[in-house]
Amino acid sequence: MRRVVFSLATFIALAVVSFVGVDALPGDGCTALLGRFGTNAKIDACRQENNLNDSVVVRIKDWSGDLVRGDLGYSIKRDEQVSKIIIPRLRNTAVMAAVAALIAFPSAIVVGLLLGRYPRKRISKAINQFSVIAMTLPEFVIATVLWLVLSIWIPIFPGVSVMPSNASLLQLLPNVWLPALTLAVVIFAHSMRTMRASVTNVQNMPFVESARLRGTNERKMISRHIVPAALPPVVNVVALDGAWLLTGTFVTEAAFNFQGLGRLAIDAISDRDTALILPIILFGLAVYLVSSILADSLVRVFDPRLRSSNR
Amino acid sequence: MKTLLRFNFLKNRVLIFSVLGFHAFVALLAPYLRLLSTDSQDSAALLQGPSLNHWLGTDSLGRDVFSRLLHGGRPSLVIAFAATAISCLIGIVIGSLAALAGGWIDEALSRVIDFMLALPTLILLLLISSFFGQDPLILSVALGLMYASPIARVARSATQTLLARDFIRVARLQGGSRISILFGEVLPNVWRVMFTEVAMQFTWILLAFSSLSFLGLGASPPTPEWGLMIAESRSYMTLNPLLVIAPIMMLASLVLAIQALVDHE
Repeated sequence: MRRVVFSLATFIALAVVSFVGVDALPGDGCTALLGRFGTNAKIDACRQENNLNDSVVVRIKDWSGDLVRGDLGYSIKRDEQVSKIIIPRLRNTAVMAAVAALIAFPSAIVVGLLLGRYPRKRISKAINQFSVIAMTLPEFVIATVLWLVLSIWIPIFPGVSVMPSNASLLQLLPNVWLPALTLAVVIFAHSMRTMRASVTNVQNMPFVESARLRGTNERKMISRHIVPAALPPVVNVVALDGAWLLTGTFVTEAAFNFQGLGRLAIDAISDRDTALILPIILFGLAVYLVSSILADSLVRVFDPRLRSSNR
Repeated sequence: MKTLLRFNFLKNRVLIFSVLGFHAFVALLAPYLRLLSTDSQDSAALLQGPSLNHWLGTDSLGRDVFSRLLHGGRPSLVIAFAATAISCLIGIVIGSLAALAGGWIDEALSRVIDFMLALPTLILLLLISSFFGQDPLILSVALGLMYASPIARVARSATQTLLARDFIRVARLQGGSRISILFGEVLPNVWRVMFTEVAMQFTWILLAFSSLSFLGLGASPPTPEWGLMIAESRSYMTLNPLLVIAPIMMLASLVLAIQALVDHE
């Protein structure tokens, strides 16, 4: 509970800092709309109309009041409610993130377990090298390689997605695969290595030794003793990687022209649409804070030692 | 295939150092190698495959890919070196100062470091480069400031373990001031511990700049830069896959070699 209050306070503080920061950048919605053809008079009129001439304090007050009422604001440049622009994009990113998570996390846990259990096999070493490479290379390289291999050399998936941002789920699905695979490679490497390290660590603990001495067979050893003890650190990484799947996908989305939130953020930044940039930053902050709270409480569910002792 | 699987690329010292040596050679000497021009366009020879004249073929504007490839690491390397230097300077001084001073100064500096660590780096970089122009100087300073916090955190804990050692206590008993201890005793010793962290940092900054270029907000055309070359040539992959494979190989070999070197230490 204290944690939640503290996170809320952090969120508010960072929201105000971001507002002031974005406000301090040269240019606003009106200069973005009118571009270099805007005369001073036109820009002034536009600012007057949209209350951009008020002081920062007044505008923060208006803006935060709107936010509490669920109004994300209005993009002068795109002439549309921000929520109407963001929500379809958010859905696309969420679908992509879900596909990536479903591909990556279960396989990472299984492979990590096997690698931790049988570290000396040649295939284990090969997978290990692959995971180092996947973690080192930037997403745009992984994206381009996957595109080249899985779309051009072996044409399984379509390459660059051509779809409107509010495409139906059926239209969306074929375009989701390649970006989701790119993200899956990154988080697979990450969570698989955590699982492997955790399994290696748990294996050397006395309780595993004692189970072995009691003559526990391999299957029971893994399902009863090793996996439950090895999961907590992995759950933590899964929660944080999940947050990254929703907020850290700019490069991947741009690489495949996938109409998600990250792509929108880059577009908003390139045409300096500050009204649109701010809610996206706030969304990222919120996801980050919620996921770190979630990570901690989930770890508590999986690791009984961390629960409070009032039971 | 079996020997290939058994061969551990990331642990072979000779391989690591020859790749790093190759990159150093190319990055330093590319302008003096009598290569074809990186900018001259040949509209009669667009998107050609490898030939005697153009070793790796030409891109969509008829520019020589081989020459652009050898020049393509320089912008990111220069920025990565500059930004790493800035982040080390700030990070190590702030981190060791916090550990050395202790008390409320340590507390305050640690909070600042935590705050910096939570910032969404890529969004900030995109904002800066979009609103203040794609100026290498501004970008290196921004990258240097943003990547100073992880260095500061490691430097702080390294200094704290150092402070318990005898030679620091001797220096204190001899009446050395905090500043003289910082520069005379702490910094020369923290530096050695920090090598791994700094090398990792270097690759992150390099990749961050390459990713920015890929998104069109790092190096600006017609500068030859690997990330930018990959972005520009992706639509022509079917016609000449070398256009993207070559810069990917360069970038990957450089970054993986640095990573392997760090793991090796």
